Amino acid sequence: MEELFAPPAYEWKRLSPKYRSMQMLTNMVIPPALLTIAAVIVGVTSGKWWISGLIWAVAVVIVIISPPLVTRSWRSWGYVEREDDLYITHGIMSRSLIAVPYGRMQLVEVESGPLERAFGLASVSLKTASPETGARIPGLTPEEATRLRDRLTELGEAHASGL
Amino acid sequence: MTASQPPQQTSPAEQMVSTTPEVPPPAAAQLKPTERPHPLTPLVRGWLILVAIAIGWGREIVTSARGDQFEPGGLAWFLPVIGVVVLLAAIAGLVTWYFTRFVIDDEELRVETGAIFKKSTKIPFERLQSVDIIQPLAARMVGLAELRLDAGNSTTKLRYLSRGKASRLRDYLLTRAHGQQASIRDLDQEAAASIFTDLGVADQPLVKVPPQRLIVSFLLSTEWLVPAAITIIIVVVTAALAALPYALGGLIPLLIGMLTLVWRRLIGMFNFTLAESPRGLRVTRGLTNLSSQSVPIDRIQGVKVGQPLLWKPLDWYRMDVDILGYGHEDGDNNESNASSVLLPVATRDEVALAIGRVLPGFDLDAIRMQPSPTRARWLRWFDFWTLRYGWDERTLITEHGWLTHVRDVVPHAKTQSLRIEQGPLQRLLRLADVHIHTPKGPVNAVAHQLDEQAARELALSQLDRARAARAAERQHRKVEAVRTDDHEGESELLAAFGIGRDQLLGSGGESEVFAIDHDRVLRLYRNGHEAPRQTAAQLQVLYQSWRGSDVGVELPLIIEMGERNGRLFTVDRRFSGRNFSGWLQHADMTQRRPALLSFLDATERVQHLPSPVPGFARLIGDGAPRQFGALTELLSNMLAGPTQSSRDQLERDVPDVATVWNQLQSDLAQRAVTPALVHGDVCPPNAYLSQGVQGPVVTGIADFSPHTVHADPLMDVAGALIFLELEPYADAAADAAWLEAVAVARHGREIVRWIDVYRRFYGFYFSNAYEFDPTLYAWCLRQLGRSGGFQ
Repeated sequence: MEELFAPPAYEWKRLSPKYRSMQMLTNMVIPPALLTIAAVIVGVTSGKWWISGLIWAVAVVIVIISPPLVTRSWRSWGYVEREDDLYITHGIMSRSLIAVPYGRMQLVEVESGPLERAFGLASVSLKTASPETGARIPGLTPEEATRLRDRLTELGEAHASGL
Repeated sequence: MTASQPPQQTSPAEQMVSTTPEVPPPAAAQLKPTERPHPLTPLVRGWLILVAIAIGWGREIVTSARGDQFEPGGLAWFLPVIGVVVLLAAIAGLVTWYFTRFVIDDEELRVETGAIFKKSTKIPFERLQSVDIIQPLAARMVGLAELRLDAGNSTTKLRYLSRGKASRLRDYLLTRAHGQQASIRDLDQEAAASIFTDLGVADQPLVKVPPQRLIVSFLLSTEWLVPAAITIIIVVVTAALAALPYALGGLIPLLIGMLTLVWRRLIGMFNFTLAESPRGLRVTRGLTNLSSQSVPIDRIQGVKVGQPLLWKPLDWYRMDVDILGYGHEDGDNNESNASSVLLPVATRDEVALAIGRVLPGFDLDAIRMQPSPTRARWLRWFDFWTLRYGWDERTLITEHGWLTHVRDVVPHAKTQSLRIEQGPLQRLLRLADVHIHTPKGPVNAVAHQLDEQAARELALSQLDRARAARAAERQHRKVEAVRTDDHEGESELLAAFGIGRDQLLGSGGESEVFAIDHDRVLRLYRNGHEAPRQTAAQLQVLYQSWRGSDVGVELPLIIEMGERNGRLFTVDRRFSGRNFSGWLQHADMTQRRPALLSFLDATERVQHLPSPVPGFARLIGDGAPRQFGALTELLSNMLAGPTQSSRDQLERDVPDVATVWNQLQSDLAQRAVTPALVHGDVCPPNAYLSQGVQGPVVTGIADFSPHTVHADPLMDVAGALIFLELEPYADAAADAAWLEAVAVARHGREIVRWIDVYRRFYGFYFSNAYEFDPTLYAWCLRQLGRSGGFQ
């Protein structure tokens, strides 16, 4: 992590490794599986198996490049609770760093979809009065997500200021 | 304002219960007379539906006429259908009208609607965020108006009421929304607003947009010229190719878009007036549909000043604001973004005037802007030279664009969150964007393409500034809450002197002053102010001791002192002339400069007043008069109190505050003077001006206080110059610099360094202002940030 996005004098907290596993599944397993099905259907119906070959080739490429990309993307996520604000960073190609002052938080949500639940994960989103804030931390363990939610709510109340 | 309601607010219902011992049964409340909207309502609504059908049908004809022949025979079957629809609409309108009832009285605001599913909406007065009046053409022709009540995220519409009634109810509801008590019966006598602008009698127009300017500005605006140019090009090209009918499919949406623009920007903004009403700003506009909208200043989250390219030679600007909650409004008739327009087209002076109301004391052009590095041209080749950003102690500004030049202003206190973004190409060029998030609305502050290091600095320092501003606002609110507390019991006290609140002459942090007659004023001390009784008593003695000494300046005198309802008051001699600060706002430079000279003279005369004790001493306050062995001892004693409370704040806001402090101490140790009387707070609000033979002259110095000491006479000379910078008129800083040059010419070069030392002294001395006055605190920070010190 380079200078621009580093928090001053704090260590980034990272996402759960299970998030990487989930991303692996959604990137490395599901698309190739779907492509394989498509390839078989194309082959059987049209008899032009060279098209199926091309589709398979795409699937193979995805399988090969996914692991390093997923790992980098997983590693690019980070968050840190500072004294007065929460920092979130992520992104490989386009990077971003969001800072949300506790005094500005209106709502802290913990969400967990079916796939996330299967992996024992949850995500936390923060809402401010601005729709542009878009601060969301995915891939947390449920304990960490609840802790973060309670902590942020508490800090939000302590720092609360009117609009 | 949403977070903290003043604690003393009791809901009207509670008051009712507390005054009547037997709680009335709920049925009794139901029996309260309710009102229906105006009986002409169904007619107006039916008419609106007819218009809607006509428009829809008209569009249908236009589109179906493309290519084919237009057949008038198709109308025959259509007319009865229209008749039935209109009849049904009229019946529906009648039913809706019949079942809509409302109550607006001293106790509650309740609206009941629905024939089958009854709905009763009761809105607590304090929850009302805005009350607007909308008059569609049809309603306007019969003299009706819609009252639109915004509370939180819900909008309640009352349609239609007679115009006079709607505006009276609006005034009443706005009064109640501000937490003031009022009775609806008092409002019945107020004169109704004018038909064309809907401005009330009490409204003072600030800016009126003349129709010619509106039309010219519209024709020159980029939003209009671009589609107009495209249309012309399409028409010319296709006509040349003899293919015009084929282009209609593309032209019609374009034309509809342009008509909408005419509707919104020209007809909707016609007769635009920005006015100052007793309860904030008010915007009225519209040629056919008249709407009148109140602008709650404390809910403004940001300001956008835009200038299309062709407006530049005319020096015209457009001004929009983010108003909290207005972004949610679902566009009723495409007006969702119209409600955020503060000025559709205005001159530079008018923009400055409007900004002065929204962000008092803020000068858009005074902020030093920093450009993005030139290597940004690789990514923003189309506008890299326009990208700039800057900030001062209260706001942040970003700037971009040349086709439409836009400046976004966000007060630090309103900053929500921040985002630094960097794409892959930006990384190669070591550039990054900083987004400053504000609530939904037209303002979108982004500092584009900054150097990485600058971006990081901007973001981190902005977080600090926003935090400090929020803290200051919280404190400010606490103080305001105390101030509103003060109004309780005050009217009785005023009545005892036979005066009312309208005799208010001025108010400061410690007291409010009311005129009793030509010779006397009543000074009411605020509750919770530390030891005002002791201060007043000491001042009375001090003023008395000066009665014999004439120094050529009118001085204050306390005639009587007392306490009533737990409020301390004094009756003071009234100064002749008017307050200097108020006069300065409107005087021009040729008048101001001689008056400022006389202000400096008056300040210097005060030094000749006798002190009750010799040597360095504090004259007012605990244990006063209290003597000190040396100037430094006295000044350290003065600084001890304020810096104790502001210490943590200063450590946050001033880089290396310890060095600044030590430097000040060692500088002060070198000062050797004979003590003289020092007022301690000579600023224009404490001075009075009379008409002399050769123009206005400062003749009175008021409000001696715990700041008053027997010390270095140069303190007041320095104070007169440096406190002038705090005056809210545009050229205050320039005047202060000029007056400093005058003082230096009078007293010699060496005072320059001492003025600088006393700047830092007063920077520390008033630093506890972070609790109640953000502007003064910002001034203090500027003084402490000056690279002071000498060998």
